[in-house]
Amino acid sequence: MNLDWLDAFLIFGAFKVVEIMGLGLLVHLQLGLTRVANFGVVGFWGVGLYAFGVAHLKVDWPFGDPYQFLVCAAIATVAAAAAGLVVGWLISELDDDGTLVGTLGFATIVVILATTQQGLTGGALGLGGLGFPYDFGRVKTHEFTWLLITTAVVALIFVYAWRVHRTPHGRLLIAVGANEALARSLGKSATAARLRMMTVTSGAMGLLGAMHGVMVRSLEINSLDVGVTLAALAALILGGTARVFGAVVGVLLTVALFDIVIQFYLPIPDGWNTQALPVAREAVFGAAIVLMLIFRPQGLLGQMRRPALMRRLHGDW
Amino acid sequence: MVGIAGDSSVTPAVAVRGLSSGYGSVAVLHEVDFTVGHEIFAVLGANGAGKTTLLATLAGLLPAFSGSIAYHGTDVTNLAASESARLGVGYVPQEAAVFPDLSVLENFTVGGMIGTRPHEERLEEVFETFPDLRDKLHLRAGNLSGGESRMVACGRALMQDPNVLLLDEPTAGLSPLYLQLFFEKIADIHRTRGMSIVLTEQNATQALAIADRVMVLSLGVGSEPMLADAVTTDLLREGYQI
Ligand SMILES: Nc1ncnc2c1ncn2[C@@H]1O[C@H](COP(=O)(O)OP(=O)(O)OP(=O)(O)O)[C@@H](O)[C@H]1O
Ligand SMILES: [Mg+2]
Repeated sequence: MNLDWLDAFLIFGAFKVVEIMGLGLLVHLQLGLTRVANFGVVGFWGVGLYAFGVAHLKVDWPFGDPYQFLVCAAIATVAAAAAGLVVGWLISELDDDGTLVGTLGFATIVVILATTQQGLTGGALGLGGLGFPYDFGRVKTHEFTWLLITTAVVALIFVYAWRVHRTPHGRLLIAVGANEALARSLGKSATAARLRMMTVTSGAMGLLGAMHGVMVRSLEINSLDVGVTLAALAALILGGTARVFGAVVGVLLTVALFDIVIQFYLPIPDGWNTQALPVAREAVFGAAIVLMLIFRPQGLLGQMRRPALMRRLHGDW
Repeated sequence: MVGIAGDSSVTPAVAVRGLSSGYGSVAVLHEVDFTVGHEIFAVLGANGAGKTTLLATLAGLLPAFSGSIAYHGTDVTNLAASESARLGVGYVPQEAAVFPDLSVLENFTVGGMIGTRPHEERLEEVFETFPDLRDKLHLRAGNLSGGESRMVACGRALMQDPNVLLLDEPTAGLSPLYLQLFFEKIADIHRTRGMSIVLTEQNATQALAIADRVMVLSLGVGSEPMLADAVTTDLLREGYQI
């Protein structure tokens, strides 16, 4: 594969876009459908990242890649799903404020554990030695291939989210999110529906964390940054929390704008890239969230369009 | 019908014994007792008397502090709301009784998640009761008028195939014409589908017209249930200030 035309940084920028798009789609299922305000996205993603890294580096597997990757990614997914189940259960009786604090607290615990369990995680120094589960040529080819694989995974997440809108499970999630008391009187367990959603979406967040670990090839404590949560939320809120395309549109206007367009195509002075830009990025994302919530809380794409969807699916009765 | 309600040899549809409940540690209902047979049972009372609290407790959404609730002889006192629903309790709350983001059809669909009869059959019956909704299937439930919204809420509960229907002020906020119509619908539902109905009302005249028996709640204390025929609005006004 001749990838001379492709800047290595561009691959990383695109990877970030795809990754945040995936997280945004998952937050859409949590916040947009079920109204679970998860402010600890980086925690679930980080559980996946670290579970993957530790499983990969600290366990003496009797087989090599790609099986080692697959097994470790499965471990990461299951670990994050379990975290989603437990956190979902802990917050199930809490209101919005409690959910916010609980999920944020969970993310903080993940960072503390990753920092203090030095024997496993390398602590603040981190751990190197992760790699791509294949070997055919140059590093750039590997990275580009990984970008494509991650894109395929995010495409699957999109299809899943898109399908959830069309299933009884999705309808129940919307009902639970809108009016939990009324939903409970429908004869289905609202808690079970919410826990199922939290488990699946958190597991997928963990898988994205594992895929991130492969791309950066190391465990770094700095990657467990609230910026991950912020980017996913900013993208989704800008695009529209209630729409499955919300995260897709939003991520193009936020992460793609900053991490690709501004960073590579605008003539900004050297040094800004590493110093001012990340700060400006977080400030703009934060401001975008605040402004959207004030002036257009439903996001650019607007509210759910269930009636139109149902008319399309069922026609006139 | 009324005879069945008073007849202790037949298992009542609803049996409430010494029921106290409320919010947090504050009791709002105090030792309420009544049974409901195969009838329309109206609970009357002024604002704040505890009508909504009673129905929410019957639906399993508020815990009982003491006392018991049984449906058709099955004790449900400590059951989750979803379990009560599966035992055949349909509940239409006073406020926020539809899912606003879902279409009208979907509000019916979520109602029909439990039960075994074919979905289409149940839907057809709901349309028989509320023919006006046929044209509004694909509207957003949150955009309906107050009256339409009440019909959708009722229809959603009917989709659950309940044998006991709890209606909390089903006609609140409806225009006089709609109100009249709605009470007729309720009487009709009871007659044709044979379910027991417990409804709360502030509108005593209309409630007395369709109910078999009434109970008056004042400050969380229930009166002895009375035959509706024997009760007049004057009596309610003088005796219970409603
Ligand atoms: N969520 C709540 N928390 C605390 N107290 C409540 C709550 N809801 C109602 N109450 C109190 O319980 C009492 C009974 O309220 P309830 O809603 O049952 O009355 P109601 O008979 O349904 O009145 P209305 O006719 O106005 O609907 C009131 O004094 C009210 O202040
Ligand atoms: Mg009330």
